[in-house]
Amino acid sequence: MLPELLQGTDAGGFLIIQDSASYSGRHLLKSFINAALNREEAVHVLGFEVSEEELKDGLKGSPVQRLHFHNAYSDPLGWTDQPAFTVHQFRLEELTRLVKQTSHPKPATLVIDSLSWILRHLSPPAVCKTLQQLRKGGSVRAIIGLLHADMHQRGTVGSVCHLATSVITVAPGMKGDGAVAKITKRSKSGKVVLDEVIFSIKDDLTVVVQSKPSQLGPKQIDPEEQETDPTANLTFNLRLSNTEREAKEKLALPFVFSKEKKIALLHSSPGSGRILYEPDANDDYDQEDPDDDLDV
Amino acid sequence: MFTELNSILNTTPDSFTQGEFVLLSDRQSDASFLIHHFLSLYLRARCRVWFVGLVQSFNHYSAISQRLGVSLTQAKEKGQLVFLEGLKESLSVLIPEDTDPGSQAMDFLRDPAVGLKSLYEFVRSSATSSAVGKHEEAEEKWGPPVLLVDDLSVLLSLGVSVGAVLDFSHYCRATVCSQLQGNMVMLSRCDGGEEEDDGDDEGSERLLKGLTHQCSLTLHVQGLPTGYCRDIHGQVEVCWRRRQGDGHHTQKKLFQYKVHDKGASFFAPGTSSAVL
Amino acid sequence: MAAPMSAVGKPSAERSPFNTTSFQKKTRTKLISIPGTRPSVQNGQLLVSTGVTSLDYLLGGGLAVGTVLLIEEDRYDSYSRMILKYFLAEGVVCRHELFVAAAQDNPDDILQELPAPILDDIAIHKPVEQPRLSCEPQDSLDAMKIAWRYQNLPKVQSALASSSRFGHYYDVSKTMEPEIRQAAKCHHFYLPEHPTQSSPAHSTMLESYSALLKSLQEVINREGFDVAAPMSKSRNILRIGLHSLGSALWGDDLSCHDNPKNGHALTTFLYGLRALLRSSLSVAVVTLPSHLIQDRALMGSITRLCDNAIALESFKGSERETNPLYKDYHGLLHVRQVPHLNCLASKLPDHKDLAFKLKRKQFSIERLHLPPDLSETVSRVSRGELAGAATVASACGSGSSGNKHLDF
Repeated sequence: MLPELLQGTDAGGFLIIQDSASYSGRHLLKSFINAALNREEAVHVLGFEVSEEELKDGLKGSPVQRLHFHNAYSDPLGWTDQPAFTVHQFRLEELTRLVKQTSHPKPATLVIDSLSWILRHLSPPAVCKTLQQLRKGGSVRAIIGLLHADMHQRGTVGSVCHLATSVITVAPGMKGDGAVAKITKRSKSGKVVLDEVIFSIKDDLTVVVQSKPSQLGPKQIDPEEQETDPTANLTFNLRLSNTEREAKEKLALPFVFSKEKKIALLHSSPGSGRILYEPDANDDYDQEDPDDDLDV
Repeated sequence: MFTELNSILNTTPDSFTQGEFVLLSDRQSDASFLIHHFLSLYLRARCRVWFVGLVQSFNHYSAISQRLGVSLTQAKEKGQLVFLEGLKESLSVLIPEDTDPGSQAMDFLRDPAVGLKSLYEFVRSSATSSAVGKHEEAEEKWGPPVLLVDDLSVLLSLGVSVGAVLDFSHYCRATVCSQLQGNMVMLSRCDGGEEEDDGDDEGSERLLKGLTHQCSLTLHVQGLPTGYCRDIHGQVEVCWRRRQGDGHHTQKKLFQYKVHDKGASFFAPGTSSAVL
Repeated sequence: MAAPMSAVGKPSAERSPFNTTSFQKKTRTKLISIPGTRPSVQNGQLLVSTGVTSLDYLLGGGLAVGTVLLIEEDRYDSYSRMILKYFLAEGVVCRHELFVAAAQDNPDDILQELPAPILDDIAIHKPVEQPRLSCEPQDSLDAMKIAWRYQNLPKVQSALASSSRFGHYYDVSKTMEPEIRQAAKCHHFYLPEHPTQSSPAHSTMLESYSALLKSLQEVINREGFDVAAPMSKSRNILRIGLHSLGSALWGDDLSCHDNPKNGHALTTFLYGLRALLRSSLSVAVVTLPSHLIQDRALMGSITRLCDNAIALESFKGSERETNPLYKDYHGLLHVRQVPHLNCLASKLPDHKDLAFKLKRKQFSIERLHLPPDLSETVSRVSRGELAGAATVASACGSGSSGNKHLDF
């Protein structure tokens, strides 16, 4: 599912990568940029949260000449005198103008890093409207947006994701550098595909899907946990070799008696003596319960 | 400067990564001892340091730095340190007098709704003017610029909105980290349990999340989950959020710490000298 | 008083007048002459007594000059008010100047209720008051005839006290004689007497708080408590007592609504207060009805803007009053924050399970422990209950998230 999305087949698509503070979705976003560049598409990045250098730094080895970075990072609010792109320019006309600036035969992919920045400063309905207009406008082939879901109210996240054709929610994985991606894809026919994969991103930004069967969800973790041997990494020895085990089993423990001896003790043989005592009335019997003060 | 922390973060005064945004945070604990670490580290590394000290007076920072072996007064005189003392500046705004209009940097106190543009202007103007080379004629040659803020959550207490603080930190990052290739260290403190992050987020929680998305390295301090202890003051979670050279994603490490009179020691969980 | 911005920008500007504050070791010798103060053993800071000896011990010897002590009031404001009165009474005895502000009662009334000092008590007082807690080795030597092996063990001393004496003792059953009281110079701020002039100057702070801050600054400047003031005449300490800040009578709606309109008014005021105190020879005690404030995050930021913070939890009216574990005490004391002014490591208390009791001649804070069981027939059932209650209260930290795992 994730590789198909990376191939980016459908035009007019709107993909959202949702992340949280515990795991950044930017690496995956870079993978998507890389994949689009490798397909010889033009990619326009609207960068609010990373500088051009930082972004291109991660894209070493990709054909970056078709990458157009629009700098909304250094001055997104127009605090200085020469803003390149401010958040208030996030409108259809401005964006179309930006994308049209470069001559390229194919319609481009627009990457927004991140939607959260825009949503913090513009009203959610306005953002949704612009996004929808962009999709229908025809100047861009697809939109990929990063969204920090934990920074907004649930309703805002919901309404933006409602517009999207695909939503990838990333979260940290259980171990190593693997991460969990929950994918929701809506096709035009209205069919909805849900998937959950564990993936990792290599240095050259290719995505490797590590495991697929995630129908079990968290239950899947149980067998793994059982597999881990608690005696594996100890500084002392808890295991026995076969000879050691034999030796151990041979050893007679104190107060562990053989079967014969047990029987002999339990059933006294005839001929041994017994003491029988019958108390009579003159016996000095202590009426008091010796354990009187013991209230257990 | 705590040498143990330096080795954890793989920094020394002579070599450290540039362009980093380090976020210090705490929850029901106190992370301000880390500010002093970074202050003394960067002063020793011969960086030019801008310190926005909103919480304490200059004397407080100076007294502690003295113990850590750095003199703030000297650094100030040499022009290495620019210190904005929020407490001092705020008085003239809080108790307005006709004669003294107060400084521009603390303008947000008059009306928190206007945001922190004026505070950013203070950072930018002093940082960029020095980069041009106002102090070049002096015999000293300083390293990359460093901005330290102690702490951002005080701004929330003074009525500034979370969004405005995030805008401020974004602009600082764009200027200091990206444009000038310097470093930035900010402290943000929040209270309340971790479990309440659903629904209506409180200001400090939301601020912490927003900053986490911006930064490249976080040091999160919290108390021990099992409660108060005199010999272990808490734990620090170190988390690298940017892809490192060796291909790690988000890499996390956990340490326990104890603050001493003249430093702090960091150790792996369970290896405190008090229990071994 | 705040230097213009250019001075901050100019690195080689003149040495700021703040360099001569009480917070630096160098000037300690000059300031040590102020009566009723002493330098801290730990970091040489100038301390004053709160008037409660065990509270001084808890705070690391006393209140550092230039800091704020926040007291979260108990439900009926009886013990917090008591501590405030101790603090003011100590000021009167030490000939410090006072500044009392309140919105509820007239500050004069608070001053009239100050407890009487026990002035010539040093010789007589101690043995009378704490005969069992005296830990001088010489008088315990004789006692150890049979169990002499225990002789070298340290004595369990549950009341918190430091070795050297600082501060005075007071008799709460009597009020201070008017002559003593009137000898001290006192400034009042009674909110109803201050017509709140509508100052459009700024919007975050309430007018009541603005007026209070302005009046404080006037006193500090006029009476020469500013550290930048010329050192010509002998210096003195200003003790500031602010009663029930944040209550509705101050015009604050913190305690009335869940989402208060003036959510930042009090924090802004405390910020301004800190700014004032740091540059003057003054020390403040603020009480706050925290049980009325629902917002825990707000309480957290209030606490952080004070240097010391303790909370009193009285047993009066709670089911704990009848709990046998607490029968020796009047309430619990929680340490919310310890100061770390001018030092990296703050002095942390040994542990945080503390309780207080108010005796006639002493307000004492003690380690919470089980009372010794002296009865002949020990009912083990109730003891088990007690032990259970004790583990809940003390075993693994105060208010922690349970003992799910161990950290070490």
